[in-house]
Amino acid sequence: MNIATVIRKFIIENFLFEDTGNLKEDTSFLESGVMDSTGVLELVSFIEETFGIVVEDEDLVPENLDSIARIARYIEKKQEN
Amino acid sequence: MTFSTTVLNIDPAREIFRITEFIHRMTHGSFKRRGAVVGLSGGIDSAVTAALCVRALGKDRVLGVLLPEKESNPISLEYGRKEAERLGIRTIKEDITAYLGSFGIYERRNAVIKEIFPEFNDACRFHVTLPQNLLEQDRLNYYSITMEDPAGKRQKKRISSSRWQQVSACQNVKQRVRMVLLYHYAEREKYLVAGTTNRSETAQGFFVKFGDGGVDIEPLAHLYKTQVYQLANSLGVIEEIIHRAPSPDTYSLPVTDKEFYFCLDYNLLDLLLYGYEHAVPVDQIVRELCLKKEEIERVFKDFRAKEQATWHLRSTPPTLEA
Repeated sequence: MNIATVIRKFIIENFLFEDTGNLKEDTSFLESGVMDSTGVLELVSFIEETFGIVVEDEDLVPENLDSIARIARYIEKKQEN
Repeated sequence: MTFSTTVLNIDPAREIFRITEFIHRMTHGSFKRRGAVVGLSGGIDSAVTAALCVRALGKDRVLGVLLPEKESNPISLEYGRKEAERLGIRTIKEDITAYLGSFGIYERRNAVIKEIFPEFNDACRFHVTLPQNLLEQDRLNYYSITMEDPAGKRQKKRISSSRWQQVSACQNVKQRVRMVLLYHYAEREKYLVAGTTNRSETAQGFFVKFGDGGVDIEPLAHLYKTQVYQLANSLGVIEEIIHRAPSPDTYSLPVTDKEFYFCLDYNLLDLLLYGYEHAVPVDQIVRELCLKKEEIERVFKDFRAKEQATWHLRSTPPTLEA
């Protein structure tokens, strides 16, 4: 599975449950109410454990984490480094 | 829509009349109760609620209940008592530490903190905070835990969501135990429980469901925090309470409402919350408050996120139609 698919699966299983219709790659989690900031932290723990990266406090910005596409880009960048 | 820095100014005398009529009507008319119980926290909201209840029902029909625990700021009890003395109301003080201990909340919570700070022990203090740079940059809310050792040395680390949920679930028992005791004293006297949650807190979900949100009436829920201060001045609430920084007072290391939840001072928060709730055009707010458009938009995003995340706190249990 690619990164985006893994993230999507996690979000559906932990936040959306059955209502998966409107989750696009660029859907803002916070704007759409998919998850709150506690949810974002849950996602951060998942990313750290699954992809073996450390998410620094300064990386906790919407630009890195507020959609499937942004997360996938962020993880790829971290893995490159 | 007219918006200015004075938009939240109220006529205290008129508002006091309106609220006292409400408390009187609810207590004696709707609930058929003899009086009101108010949990006195030593903060502004409970002081104002108690003073309004006294105006509405008379001092002999108001019971102030002081419910400290071992991690409360001792000044809270002192201020609560002083305000009760000023009002001339009866008080009951009951330390809830033993109740909380019997639930194991200190033990369970401290076990989580020790996972983060292995050196944490009973002599250490801690609190939890959000990043405070809400205006300056786009960012996500994440909680950090700060531990202070007996020598005053502090360490701060980000807390994971699962650990935060465990800590929060323990901390919220404090407000829920207080709710149980307020109802105990209220039922004993055939009184109702008067709540102390204001509009800023209600709208943004800054209360505990079935904790401080578990009450019979909410006399302040239509007023922003800064409006509660206007009433406090008019009602003669003691200066110590008026000048005290608002705090949840549930952490052993003091923390303000701003540091813990809102990330803004109430003076600015309330004006922006008013603008948000009344759909005031952002350009108008920019002009009146001398803020940048992007700063206001960041705050509005934060409002929206907190509002969405806490909608269930404001809802009553859904039911099916018969």
